Amino acid sequence: MTPVTKVSIALPTGALMPGALRLLARAGLARLSADELGRQLLVDRTGVRVILVRPADVPAYVDHGAADLGIVGKDILWETPGAHYELVDLRFGGCRLVLAVPMASKLDGPETWPPQLRVATKYPRTANAWFEARGQAVEVVQLRGSVELAPQVGLVDAIVDLTATGRTLKENRLRIAATLGESSARLIANQASLKTRTAAVQAAVGRLREAVGR
Amino acid sequence: MRRWGYRHVITPTVENIDVLELGIGAEQRRRLFKFADARGEVIALVGERTVPVARLVAGKLRGSPLPLRLCYAGPVLSTDDGRLQQRRETYQVGAELVGAPGTVADAEVIALAARCLQASGVQRYQVDVGHAEFFHGIMDAVKLPDEVKAAVRIALAARDFVALESLLEGTPLRSAEHELLLRFPALRGGTEILQAAGGLVRNRRSERALAELAEVQELLVTHGLGDVVSLDLGAIRDFDYYTGITFEGFGPDVGRPVAQGGRYDGLLARFGRPAPATGFVVQLDLVWEMLTRASRPPALPRIDAAVAWSGPGLRTALRLGSTLRLFGMRAVVDTQARSQVEAKAWWQAVGAVNLVHCRSESIVSWSSRGHRTRRLPPEQVAGRLAGGLA
Repeated sequence: MTPVTKVSIALPTGALMPGALRLLARAGLARLSADELGRQLLVDRTGVRVILVRPADVPAYVDHGAADLGIVGKDILWETPGAHYELVDLRFGGCRLVLAVPMASKLDGPETWPPQLRVATKYPRTANAWFEARGQAVEVVQLRGSVELAPQVGLVDAIVDLTATGRTLKENRLRIAATLGESSARLIANQASLKTRTAAVQAAVGRLREAVGR
Repeated sequence: MRRWGYRHVITPTVENIDVLELGIGAEQRRRLFKFADARGEVIALVGERTVPVARLVAGKLRGSPLPLRLCYAGPVLSTDDGRLQQRRETYQVGAELVGAPGTVADAEVIALAARCLQASGVQRYQVDVGHAEFFHGIMDAVKLPDEVKAAVRIALAARDFVALESLLEGTPLRSAEHELLLRFPALRGGTEILQAAGGLVRNRRSERALAELAEVQELLVTHGLGDVVSLDLGAIRDFDYYTGITFEGFGPDVGRPVAQGGRYDGLLARFGRPAPATGFVVQLDLVWEMLTRASRPPALPRIDAAVAWSGPGLRTALRLGSTLRLFGMRAVVDTQARSQVEAKAWWQAVGAVNLVHCRSESIVSWSSRGHRTRRLPPEQVAGRLAGGLA
């Protein structure tokens, strides 16, 4: 368990990690290099403990209280709603969750959708909820990676995936038919940490909030 | 809880879904285990016991005068989204005080919950007290279109302050109530927080809530709980269910509340016996989690005496066991004959404080941790053991 005086922060590996490290440095919480954290996974500094986990695991660490705070993409939070507080939009790692179809496809807005749509995605929960809200029957195929490939080989009609610049989609001859949501990095907090260690956790939240520029 | 005059009630594990539906929200309903009985009626396994207790008060206990103080313990079942691996079956202990309005009743239930946590052996615990009406007052006062208000409620229920902020940013009028909503997670502290909030709110409902919180806080100090109680105006609870004072108990190093409760004056009316009510549950699995993680995990209750025998000693052993139990001791009598050496090994396995080995009617050997073995008549051993206990 984390000593009472320290605030522990879970950072995600991958695309959000450099931005998260820059933010921690700007907030004056910890100055860490990606190499150092990547090697050690757990680094203790004065007043803070930084742990590095897979992006999809950040909510689990925070919800169970293994970390007081976590930095994680909104896309992950859509998939894993939990008992944490989502406190601050950290304003980096911006991207969109989109419905993308092959360039040549006739699919576009809801009026063009067939009675039953087949969609591949890494975000089954979000995709299901979005289509359900629009009264669209959908068969969601959950994939772990290279989702762009699925429509090209006839597995599905469309994909629901994250895109920042749209380049990967274009390279795979896909175009955007609809946007499901806008994602960016978020600061989340364990519900009990906010109550049992209010001062230390709120202070860290305050510094991070300021570092974002508000 | 018995010392506080709460009577133990047992409620059914399966209930008709229509009955439960009177008391629970759509989300809770979704999580219930549901199945059909032989006649095709949909029934469910209980996901919480406040609703069954309410039904009991309005049904079988209809003739009992209010207020009623009831407590219960038992498993509850719910299907949780699997990812976080939460247990499907958890054990809850709870109490309900039905028919008593006012802050004295609120404070009694909070104090009882705190004493339950203490009695369970949790070392450092704290209780955060909030008020549902504080939030309702703010929602009345903020000038927002109804659909935005609905979205604000959803965002708050999801604890999504990023969404909340963008909702409120889009509105032209910014009031103190806006600020309060945005600062919800930080509205926690001692009595000073009441003054701070009192300076900001300008609506009757919230002001009344703050006054009640001040009363409850004072009563809890008198209950001897001043050190463990904090005020949390930003507590996010099921606002459709709770109508007044709410509270949550936290222990060290567990990321979720171990106890929660509050006033729900609306529930009993749905079962045809309108009455104010307040109560709480303690999540026993979380208590257990905390106890086993503590630096000194709790020991099993100790056994006072292991009574072994061989040959004609069986009758002596059985009689000695009965005598020791009469004196309130925990005594285990062996089920098979053992030699003195075997008995010592068995004694260790049982983990008792004393070993009494009976080989005849008149003399037994008594070993105690840290003492050498003595040979005495059984009555004298019983007398000394009982005397040691007193």
